[in-house]
Amino acid sequence: MTTFTAFEPEVLDGFRDAVGREHVIESPLEVFGYSYDASFLALDRNTMPQAVVRPRTTAEISRVMALAHERRIPVTPRGAASGRTGGSVPLQGGIVLALDRMTSILELDTANMMVSAEPGVRTVDLHDHCARHGLFFPPDPGSWKFSTLGGNVAENAGGMRAVKYGVTRDYVMGLEVVLADGAILETGGKAVKNVTGYDLTGLFVGSEGTLGIVSRALFRLRPLPKARGVLRVVFRTMDEACAAVQEMLLDGVTPSAAEIMDATCLEAVARARNTQMEEGAGACLILEIDGDGAEALEAQSRRIEAITDRAGRIAFRSAASKEETEAIWAERRGLSSAVAAMAPNRLGEDISVPRSAFPEVVRRINAIAASSGLRIPVFGHAGDGNLHPSVLCNLADPDQAARAHQAVDGIFQAALDLGGTLSGEHGIGITKRPYFPDAVGPVSLETHRAVKRALDPLGLLNPGKIW
Amino acid sequence: MVTAATKAGPGPFAAARGKVLGCDRCGTCLPVCPLFQVQDVERASARGKNALVRGLAEGLIPPDREAQEALEFCLLCRACTDACPGKVPTDEAMLQVRQALADTLGSTPLRSRWIGRVLRRRRMVGLGAATLAGLRAVGLHRLLPSQLVPRETSRQAYLEKYAGPALLGAPDPRPEPALHPGAKVAYFQGCGMKLLFPDASRSTQRILAQLSPFQRPDHPCCGLPHLAHGQREAFLELAQENIKAFEAADLVVTDCASCSGTLKHLAPWFADDPVWADRAARFSAKVMDLTEYLAAAGYRPQALPGATFTYHDPCHLARGQGIRRQPRQLLEQAGKLIELKEKERCCGGSGSFHLEHPQAAEAILRRKQEDIQGTGAQVVVTACPGCLIQLTRAAEQSGGAFQALHISQVI
Repeated sequence: MTTFTAFEPEVLDGFRDAVGREHVIESPLEVFGYSYDASFLALDRNTMPQAVVRPRTTAEISRVMALAHERRIPVTPRGAASGRTGGSVPLQGGIVLALDRMTSILELDTANMMVSAEPGVRTVDLHDHCARHGLFFPPDPGSWKFSTLGGNVAENAGGMRAVKYGVTRDYVMGLEVVLADGAILETGGKAVKNVTGYDLTGLFVGSEGTLGIVSRALFRLRPLPKARGVLRVVFRTMDEACAAVQEMLLDGVTPSAAEIMDATCLEAVARARNTQMEEGAGACLILEIDGDGAEALEAQSRRIEAITDRAGRIAFRSAASKEETEAIWAERRGLSSAVAAMAPNRLGEDISVPRSAFPEVVRRINAIAASSGLRIPVFGHAGDGNLHPSVLCNLADPDQAARAHQAVDGIFQAALDLGGTLSGEHGIGITKRPYFPDAVGPVSLETHRAVKRALDPLGLLNPGKIW
Repeated sequence: MVTAATKAGPGPFAAARGKVLGCDRCGTCLPVCPLFQVQDVERASARGKNALVRGLAEGLIPPDREAQEALEFCLLCRACTDACPGKVPTDEAMLQVRQALADTLGSTPLRSRWIGRVLRRRRMVGLGAATLAGLRAVGLHRLLPSQLVPRETSRQAYLEKYAGPALLGAPDPRPEPALHPGAKVAYFQGCGMKLLFPDASRSTQRILAQLSPFQRPDHPCCGLPHLAHGQREAFLELAQENIKAFEAADLVVTDCASCSGTLKHLAPWFADDPVWADRAARFSAKVMDLTEYLAAAGYRPQALPGATFTYHDPCHLARGQGIRRQPRQLLEQAGKLIELKEKERCCGGSGSFHLEHPQAAEAILRRKQEDIQGTGAQVVVTACPGCLIQLTRAAEQSGGAFQALHISQVI
């Protein structure tokens, strides 16, 4: 029922020999489950792979890749399929290489403060494992409870704590990568200073599965912060809120998260939680602070109180109890579904601009909302210029669907015009591919192609992605 | 660019598809789905099944036996819905799609058919209960597989084990006055209680009798087994019979979480029926779970000093009806309650699921058994015969580390 013909029996047998008979899935009904991810791409018979192959070890991946290479079979790697841009959706049949059985945390090296793990480990599990030993794995994409490390590396996942702790790239010390022909490459290592050769590790981080299969990753860790606190600050305008965040960073009081939401988001949350918005509220910051103990938090909180006061805040609350902390975070966590509840469909976008351009890009998005006649609530990570406008629409209505996609085009253009990028943390995948060549320009595009040709001359690895 | 525009017109799967339109396949449900935990392929997960519903509706997946099997593989436990940012009702989608598949294919899967046939006939249930009672009297029920006929632990055995001889035969504690003075209370004895846990059912009736006189109208199955397996006509007939049978009662109390959950939610199924809509709504409003009723009525259980309990929340009670506090309140009065790890995680019982998918149910139960043993409690208590089948099995497999009892047997 796929548009691709079934594999020849000896090919299937080859994959079965490589990973074990029960770990090759070929029934169309089962394979259908590996044809989608968390992007808004429609379900489509053309994205059904011919088979799903589920290796358990690096050696098994290597055997699978060697066979795929020999038989010219496209390979699309997949973790939890929680990506937002179609990165793990197969476009040319072939196999989906599902890495979800590779779930071992291999070594926690407390002396060097590093951990190595397989690609199928859930982000939250790595975090919790390290935390039990007093160590901290900071990358925290919104999907961290179900996303897996292979995907985090392949998409260079960010998260709320990026403002203080950076993104996945900042923690990858080394990788084991199975190349297109099955060869096994080791990059980086535990030496903190390492300039022996090209930064191959960096090349694979964010490569969206187009250059090789990450079979193991080595991450550096930090000491786990001893105390955390939460602040909630309300402003009249997004400009004031953004200015306050900039002031904090300049002043060296860096929150470990600085989540911002606009008036529409506040309205959605108030509606969903049956609460009242503050009179005149136009923006809200939810700030996390961390440090060595209660005193350190108190000092940061006081400085932020003073800074936000100068910026013109209209409400300030520092969570005094566990319950209050929970209540403030619940507002942020419930935001996505509260916004989703405002319309039948939502095109959730992910753009990134220089921090100073945050207020301006929000103004332009508001203008796009006005001209398209659609609501576009904006929330995001104020500290790092990464924002998530949500175009609310009803895709069943062709006119609205057209306007919604035009609005998305406009949002990308605004980000690029302000020196920003198409994606802060979701990657390009399929959904942003049409915008990629213009966004990076011809020289960068050709450089990307040259790298791709060097590592995957047959074009078998996650074909059809990025450009 | 390809978008998720609505492609499917009206068809047999339109209603089911409507239930899952809010699913953006984010993956939040993956780690909480008990079946995905024991069978880690996408098809087994809540997200995978919601996608299959859309695949059927959009013509990407043929409506065949394989699809039917895949969509029968759901516990209807709502763990996914609880975690879901958009609160997608996967369980409701499963009921709809199973019905649509049964209509399209002309039949439900063979394995779930017999159970519907038996439970549809009141006489068969009565006959079954009598036969099992006869077998139990001479111990022959042990020849039947324990998934089918669990080895029920009696209240008497429990008291003998934990209470010490002084308490045996002592008068039951005097209850406070009933919830609604003069309310006519009726007991809904579900098939599971009647057939498989007669001692627990007697305990329930003993407690009810302390609060007020109660009726025991002749009534059929609540219909959940039929609704769950694409036999909607049978479900609706049974519902009408139940509405009629309890017309004279002010309160319908049941000690089965699945029955109370089903009976409380009859109204939507008759919303468009001019004859039955009001009657169904009135009936549903009268239904109370036993623990809900006892807590509201101020029932004070007799304390058994030294008894330690852990409580397993039935899916249909905690997530299905929001009843979490009442059973705990009762247990804390009766003894010491030690909370179970992931207390609301489904035990794998789910009606006849454990018979149809014994391996998956067993794998889920093994985790539950470990968690129960982790508490060190003497007794795991629950409030649904579906769970009690599984937990009784876990108790047996634990080699006597704990017992499994219905809440009515320990309060």
